[in-house]
Amino acid sequence: MRRFLGSLRDGAGFDILLVGAAMVFLIAMAGLPLIYNVLMSFQQVDMFTLGSLIRPWAGFQNYIDVVREPAFWLVAKNTFIFVFFSMGGQFVIGFALALFFAQNFPGASTIRGLFLVSWVMPGLVVGAIWSWILAGDFGVLNTILKNFGVISSNIFWKSDPAFSIWAVVIANIWLGLAFNMLLLSVGLAAIPRDLYEAAELDGANAFQRFWTITLPMMRSTIGAVLSLGLIGTLQQFDLFPAITEGGPANTSTVAQFWSWQMSFKLYDFAKGATISVMMLILVLIASIIYVRSTRHEVRG
Amino acid sequence: MKLHFAGLLAAVSLGAMSLATPAFAQVTLKIWSIDGVDRVGIADTFSKEFDEANDDIVVEYRAIPFDDLVNETLRAFATGNAPDIVSFDNPDFALFSSRGAMLDITDRIANSSVIKADNYFAGPLNSVSWDGKLFGIPKYTDTIGVFYNKDLFAKAGITEPPKTWAQLTEYAEKLTDPANNVYGATFSARAGEEGTFQFLPIIQMSGGGYDHVNTDGAAEVLDLWKKMVDNGWASKDVLSLGQWDSTGTFNSGNAAMAISGPWEVDRMVEDAKFDWGVALLPTITEGGERSSALGGFDWGIMSTTKHPDEAFRALEYFASQDNRIFAEFGSIPARSDIELPVTGVEKKDAALKVFLEQLQYAQPRGPHPEWQKISKAIYDAMQQALTGQMSSKDALNQAQTTIDGILGK
Repeated sequence: MRRFLGSLRDGAGFDILLVGAAMVFLIAMAGLPLIYNVLMSFQQVDMFTLGSLIRPWAGFQNYIDVVREPAFWLVAKNTFIFVFFSMGGQFVIGFALALFFAQNFPGASTIRGLFLVSWVMPGLVVGAIWSWILAGDFGVLNTILKNFGVISSNIFWKSDPAFSIWAVVIANIWLGLAFNMLLLSVGLAAIPRDLYEAAELDGANAFQRFWTITLPMMRSTIGAVLSLGLIGTLQQFDLFPAITEGGPANTSTVAQFWSWQMSFKLYDFAKGATISVMMLILVLIASIIYVRSTRHEVRG
Repeated sequence: MKLHFAGLLAAVSLGAMSLATPAFAQVTLKIWSIDGVDRVGIADTFSKEFDEANDDIVVEYRAIPFDDLVNETLRAFATGNAPDIVSFDNPDFALFSSRGAMLDITDRIANSSVIKADNYFAGPLNSVSWDGKLFGIPKYTDTIGVFYNKDLFAKAGITEPPKTWAQLTEYAEKLTDPANNVYGATFSARAGEEGTFQFLPIIQMSGGGYDHVNTDGAAEVLDLWKKMVDNGWASKDVLSLGQWDSTGTFNSGNAAMAISGPWEVDRMVEDAKFDWGVALLPTITEGGERSSALGGFDWGIMSTTKHPDEAFRALEYFASQDNRIFAEFGSIPARSDIELPVTGVEKKDAALKVFLEQLQYAQPRGPHPEWQKISKAIYDAMQQALTGQMSSKDALNQAQTTIDGILGK
């Protein structure tokens, strides 16, 4: 008994206690809801069985039904566009800004800090603001573009199927830009200055320095930023109800909005769960990449 | 002395105990509705009055935002914490009544001296009916018509409001004035219940219904709508604007006609700086069949209630106050036996007269337990046609296939 108590205070028992506490928390807060969600995707769910765990088994029928939905491939395409271009835009512009602010001109760090304003704003507020900016007849963006002569007639960002998904992509790039820039700035600051000095002495030009020093040294940071970007983009929900509501005709519906719509607008909880499980697999892949890239970082 | 003291103590504590338990058993009624979230409404006001007027009943009123009401009630019902009385938007009612979540009050209504089924308009009453039984009573009702800017009409040389959809389209073209940012017409073809609310009446006037949407008449009118959007006689933003925002452009003089309902009237009296009027929703052919959307909420008692008698007494009280709801809350009672008072505001009274006439043609959405899915099929088809992704006929045919699947045909 005493040895047991002793090991609790200092030894293997203590380690197990710590691991156990973390595991209990994880299982209770993340594991069980996740399992419940996966379970729901294999069951028939309606309002009467919403509260119970044991429900009629549906097998893969929910998955088949989801894929057979007329909107499935459109939603898949939209999700791909949304994720790829949001991440791409956030990363490229974020990296450019990070490099820009790494030049250490007066006030650089203060202005960089101000960029965070976009990131701390709630998605619904950002959505409402962009909804006004992108409005068709009296929108700010249309007025600006018209005055610069870029367009001759109004673009209906929210109502034109050719533009609706891009309206949300633009808003999402703006929203996630600061976060990308900040993480990349931290990565940039961690690169030792003397590497650049040595390269400069050897006659490397700015592009060569970027390509052979900055990028390789930033590898793990970039991996982490991209994975977090993927997760963040797949979680991005608030902008959709605020800007396009998935319309017109589902042309801006993405998987996460579709899942919510199925569950809480059409009350088809099984299909909603099924879509979220499909997304979970995608996020899982991203998480594996993220974990691997940060592990690399620790080993240095 | 000591004994006296103990006796006194006993007497006091006994007295305290009898004070703590009321003279008769009290019943607690939980009432949920959207009223009182942003402004005072029917449910919160009448619940409070009912609570104060009845010593044997305590009302716990809860205001829930519109978007959360159905979800919150579903969750509460699934976990056994459902309210006793709840007020739903009429197309949502069947989701609950068809699954036995609402109490059958057919017999209670038959025996009631306050609530008489015959007094209600057919459409609203239909929305609380399922399988020939009554599961609730209508709370209030509304519908849609065409608001038109009389000044702009006069300027364009048009004397009468449009009678058919073809006429409405023709007028929209004449009234459009891009130089002054004026569109001919505005409506709401949004991806949501509001879109179905405005388009389903057209399906109904073409002889169809929610179970038969691919009619030639509906495709014809949808083509006219598309023509208006394509030619800039209506803003492309009708695809994303809700009715309130869409009619806002009418009030500011940026649209000459607007399709919306009586809830707009008070704001329009304030905001619109021009002469306006209301006309019945156009028909497909002149003198053809009429229809319009049926809005408004219903009252119902949930089947899990432990106090059905008291809950029904509450409904009787609410129904007995129906003659107040127009003056106090601007809502139209869903009853033919209530004469609405004249407000003295000329345009408002004229508008109300038209809407009361329109209400006779209003038809409910559903009722069907999976209404939300049917509704999505309808507004999806409407949007696919308006954005040119499919022809009107093809889009409606696809919606019909989806709806047939839902109805199990």
